[in-house]
Amino acid sequence: MVTPDPKRGRFDAASRRLREATVAVGVLAALSLVVPGDSARILAVLALLILGLVPLVRLAWLGLRWARRGDRRFAWLPAAILGVVAVGFLVSLR
Amino acid sequence: MTDSAIALTLLAGLAAVLGTNGGIGGATLLVPALVAFGLEPTAAAPLGLVAVGGASLAAASRQLRRHLVHHRLGLTVELPAAAAAVTAALVSTDLPEQLLAGILAAAALVGAVSGFTRQGVRNRPDPTFVEESTGEWPGTLGGSYELDGEVVPYQARRVGPGLFAAAVAGAVAGLSGVGGGFLKTPTLSELMHVPVRVAAATTSFTLGITASAGLAVFAGQGRIETEPAAAVLVGAIVGGSIGAVLQGRLAPPIARRVTATLLLVVAVVVVVRAW
Repeated sequence: MVTPDPKRGRFDAASRRLREATVAVGVLAALSLVVPGDSARILAVLALLILGLVPLVRLAWLGLRWARRGDRRFAWLPAAILGVVAVGFLVSLR
Repeated sequence: MTDSAIALTLLAGLAAVLGTNGGIGGATLLVPALVAFGLEPTAAAPLGLVAVGGASLAAASRQLRRHLVHHRLGLTVELPAAAAAVTAALVSTDLPEQLLAGILAAAALVGAVSGFTRQGVRNRPDPTFVEESTGEWPGTLGGSYELDGEVVPYQARRVGPGLFAAAVAGAVAGLSGVGGGFLKTPTLSELMHVPVRVAAATTSFTLGITASAGLAVFAGQGRIETEPAAAVLVGAIVGGSIGAVLQGRLAPPIARRVTATLLLVVAVVVVVRAW
């Protein structure tokens, strides 16, 4: 039997934000399929933008969280991955 | 809403339901299926990554709440995977269509073999960890998770080979848009000895990053068409959510075999169409 875990709720706030982002992306994408004209394109771009940004924001959050807690072995990893994504995007623009 | 958007939504939804249940990710089924229906691999790849990102986002909240994601392990394997995915996405436009179709067929075959063969329980509950708070252990690639009311500790092994396999998975993802989950999950569970539930949740987390990295490149190249992408996104989110709910009801071995059979069929169709 597992004893009550005082740290059990430590990711609840982040979990809620992720659920809200999922609903927002789903609603925006669905609306883009039914509204006419340029509005559809704007809504779809917004949905894709949120979809692409959520994992990157989560990365940044993890990096800051680990840095604040002194986990130096892993705190640099999110920044390195964000760097890879940024370099890839910049190179693709050329 | 056009007929093609409806078809894409349904196809992406079905792929996400089956892929989530089979633990291989929806894009592994979706991209080869799109190619089998006549879409060029270079056009199918961005749609595949949209499906990967959508399914990852749909599963993220539930997996985080259950403490199944090992973020440190995920990011350790994601660094070589993201670098390989970005490089592969950049060169994918210069590769011949037949080579991309071959990579897709090979990817589908590996996914099928993985689905047919994966089984067994390696990490078992340990009563000495009963007071332990479940989740990842700071500063390490180890952790614990809750299984049927007991705590199961684990420690990632063979990190070097795991990083290499993750880079291969990232390259396949960047070239073909299939996500690479069917390679990453077995890498973590079979090669690195991480429990399959943790491996699947951690892979799902990293696939979101892989999708972001690949989509950033495709966006820069102007290869993302908004209407098909939105249709796939709706299907992936709805299908991924349904798949996550069904996941606990269908016996995993049965789900894996059904998905593996579908992958086998898709691989054959892609090969026949390309040659």
